[in-house]
Amino acid sequence: MSAIAAAPVRRSRRSWLFAIGLILVGINVAVALLTLVWLPYDPSSTAGGRLEAPSLLHWAGTDRLGRDLFTQIMIGSRIALMVGAGAVAIGAAIGVTLGVLSAFATRLLDDAFAAAFDILIAFPTLLLAMLVVAASDTASLGSAILALGIAISAIVARLTRILAKRVIGMDYITAARTSGTSWPQIVIKHVLPNIWPTLLVNFALQFGLAVIAEASLSYLGLGAPPPNASWGRLLQEAQGTVYTAPFGAIAPGLALLILVIGINLSADGLRDIGDPTRRGSR
Amino acid sequence: MILSVDHVSFSYTRDRQVLDDVSLTVQRDRNLGIVGESGSGKTTLLRLLLGLNRPTSGTIRFGEQALDTSDRGFMRAYRRSVQAVFQDPYSSLDPRQNVFGIIAEPLQSLDIAVPHREAVEAALVSVGLPPDAMNRYPHEFSGGQRQRIAIARAIVARPELILADEAVSALDLSTRIRIVELLKTLGLKMTLVLVSHDLGVVASLCQDIVILERGRIVESGKTRQILDNPQHPYTRKLIDSAPRMPA
Amino acid sequence: MSLLTVEGLKISTDGRALVSDLSFAVGAGERMGLIGESGSGKSLTAMAITGLLPRNISARGSITLDGQQVIGAPERNLGQLRGSATAVIFQEPLTALDPLTRLGRQIEEPLRRRYRRDGLDPKTVKHEVLALMERVALPQPERIAAAYPYEVSGGQRQRVAIAMALACRPKLLIADEPTTALDVTTQAEILKLLDSLVRDLGMALLFISHDLPVVANVVDRLTVLRNGKAVEQGPVRDVLGAPKNPYTKTLVEAARAFDQALGRTP
Repeated sequence: MSAIAAAPVRRSRRSWLFAIGLILVGINVAVALLTLVWLPYDPSSTAGGRLEAPSLLHWAGTDRLGRDLFTQIMIGSRIALMVGAGAVAIGAAIGVTLGVLSAFATRLLDDAFAAAFDILIAFPTLLLAMLVVAASDTASLGSAILALGIAISAIVARLTRILAKRVIGMDYITAARTSGTSWPQIVIKHVLPNIWPTLLVNFALQFGLAVIAEASLSYLGLGAPPPNASWGRLLQEAQGTVYTAPFGAIAPGLALLILVIGINLSADGLRDIGDPTRRGSR
Repeated sequence: MILSVDHVSFSYTRDRQVLDDVSLTVQRDRNLGIVGESGSGKTTLLRLLLGLNRPTSGTIRFGEQALDTSDRGFMRAYRRSVQAVFQDPYSSLDPRQNVFGIIAEPLQSLDIAVPHREAVEAALVSVGLPPDAMNRYPHEFSGGQRQRIAIARAIVARPELILADEAVSALDLSTRIRIVELLKTLGLKMTLVLVSHDLGVVASLCQDIVILERGRIVESGKTRQILDNPQHPYTRKLIDSAPRMPA
Repeated sequence: MSLLTVEGLKISTDGRALVSDLSFAVGAGERMGLIGESGSGKSLTAMAITGLLPRNISARGSITLDGQQVIGAPERNLGQLRGSATAVIFQEPLTALDPLTRLGRQIEEPLRRRYRRDGLDPKTVKHEVLALMERVALPQPERIAAAYPYEVSGGQRQRVAIAMALACRPKLLIADEPTTALDVTTQAEILKLLDSLVRDLGMALLFISHDLPVVANVVDRLTVLRNGKAVEQGPVRDVLGAPKNPYTKTLVEAARAFDQALGRTP
């Protein structure tokens, strides 16, 4: 009742937040693209002074070896987007497929699926990453993305399964069946559109977590090899000097925060656009 | 005879029989009311008639042919002839589809070669909604209007038979009577099977009646006769329990 | 002075009126029916009377219950009033009962509160629980007292909810669609039970429903709500016999049409 009356106010605030989210993500994408053609400094040049504070020359200061931090953060944004988007894409593709299959499966098969998801979720991502590296011989950004994608797929699959089961129990699914709609069509027309909003918000969350998780993987040598400066690696490197040169940790931390907030706000906005009850005017 | 149910039993698990040796027939142009309370198996019976579940034993016949849910060609023809209206108009319409998409679904899924737009428009008009409703979404409509949309979906493919599961019991009294009037008009063009606990509604719409109690038919026949002269004690109890206005 | 007096009640949220200028009174032992369809504001009115409106919905005007003003009263006073002056029975007994507590204990709880308030001997509580269960015609009270809500039928759950309401010895019983979720035969039994309890215990009854024939047989007076406004008020006989408002007329005609289809039984 109250939601109806309050909707216009909330809607305008929502669209503001959505715009901010898009701008934040847009900046990240723009910077990531820019790094392909131009960088303020050579990322491996150690010409700057060590651990310099931010200045006009070095906007985010320099690291222990005198490399420009801002340059590394710019490169990091490219890696972060690749890791986040890549891992979520893999996770979504596998997770949604398995989740939907499980929701439609017979009782026995569904139980087996559910148990498999739970085991995979309990499985440490780190161990998974090591297995992936072992299987592909070399540690690379690709193997980190694949490992994170598999870890995410289990979470997405479990969520999809629960959401899809709830939708399948609704009368409009029965109505679709009596209208002669086949199961694959029911999934595309009714199930996915109705579970999409919740999944989308979860994808945004997983995106942020993947970017952070990649940090630990590269710290252990299971992620992008140097000199690919991921934000996680920058954070880890700044660990030892966090009291003498805090900007070394603050700058990549801030960059990570901005991207994660941007992704989350954009996901909320996309969810609202896909929902006729939030979008429509009465 | 459109539909006949021949010694049908159904159980989900081995030890509990939901339907026990049920036989009935649906005659063309005679609406049938299936009356029962929770646990009577009336909803299960409806699901069997809709081909959503298979009977554990016994057969359902559509005309001369036995209902076989694995025969895709037959099911296609069957779905075209038999459509459904459900109880809760809030959960029977997909909130993410607009009204056109909802009503056109049987036409699309069953590949019915008619101009979809015109067919949806005609269906909307015959349930008393304006044609421009097709561009709107379910949440913009009241419960009664939603049930009209659900009825429009059921009649858009011009079926012979409509199976309605408590189609008016979730509606307010003044809306209920209007939907019953609508169903009565539609009943002139097609046959209606109404599953309900509400004897007043069944009596308003159905010439024939079947009383179900715990999975068995306890009484069946012409509605008027059964209401005026019930034979089974359970039927009598149902009739006595129906809330009536004080004289 | 009446037990319950509602005067110029206005319920609104974000400047939108949900109930406007509603006035009615229920005297001790009197039975009032509040009839309206979904969105008419009937359940909001019940929540306002018990002081249970959600925070974002505000009530203005005056509601006096057993001599106390409800609107604007502090929560502490309301809690007391809810225990002693009024008790509510809800539509869905499955969600109104705690799924993890045995039914006997659920009846015991309000009973113990009353015993403490009235300074009665708590040793007799257990006995009174069973007595209450018998009062609402629950078969095998010992067995049901030890059962959980999901283990008994819908009708039995509603009887337990009624027993809980009775445990408070309320002067006013508010029944909000108490039979809507039940089967027809169970509904008839519960209505009969409510009718006899209210008569025997001399309680006042506020019966809220969308179902005119259900209410009409239990109450003496009717208030018909539509879009938050009372469109007609009066004794059942007058309202049903000669409805003045066009909306009431539609309702009465609809109910009579179903009755007629059903036919009169001797």
